[in-house]
Amino acid sequence: MLLFRSEDDLGNWCQQRGATRGATLTVTQTWVLAQRWYYNRLDPAFHGRSIAEAEAVFASVGLEGAFWQSAAR
Amino acid sequence: MSTTDSVPERLWEARAVIYSHFAATGQAPTPAETAAILQAPVADVVDLYNELHARHAILLEANSSTIRMANPFSGIPTGFQVMIGTTQYWANCIWDALGIPAALYRDADIIVADPAGGTPLRLQVRDGQVRGAGFVHFLLPFSRWYDDLVET
Repeated sequence: MLLFRSEDDLGNWCQQRGATRGATLTVTQTWVLAQRWYYNRLDPAFHGRSIAEAEAVFASVGLEGAFWQSAAR
Repeated sequence: MSTTDSVPERLWEARAVIYSHFAATGQAPTPAETAAILQAPVADVVDLYNELHARHAILLEANSSTIRMANPFSGIPTGFQVMIGTTQYWANCIWDALGIPAALYRDADIIVADPAGGTPLRLQVRDGQVRGAGFVHFLLPFSRWYDDLVET
């Protein structure tokens, strides 16, 4: 996941690599996602999360649709 | 390992040591450093590292017991530098760069290499809020993240 200064920079980066554009988030959206994803990462009781739990975190910040879902559904 | 039953408990103890070490120093612990804390043979800790890798709890360098990733932390320098107080951390991506202050509940200054080759981008986390602008791009869908964790 990369941080671009502008939409133009992102578009050029994709074009130069022949890459299909993925999903784009704002910095604030990514911060909220980071908080919900990593808030308990240093807790010794954290042993990972299931695919369903991961998808629930994405959905909680409005990230829904095929891009944010596992193929194993 | 002395008994099969003891593996899971030791496994998560090793994980806790790895994360505590990253949090305190910004660096990945070597198997010898983790073994000293766990008071275990280094060879056993290498086995634990391999098992944590197999469970996607950490990512080891290829054919090595060196930790490349324990998300959000990176064991090697990257284009995502996170300063918290006087401690320098490296993150694996912009999400993880924000994940370090989120995991540590600390303010942070984040310096990100510009993929377009310009001057570095800078973000700040202060009092639970992020400051700074930009467009965060996720190249691969969630279903393909484990195909290549480095390029995701």
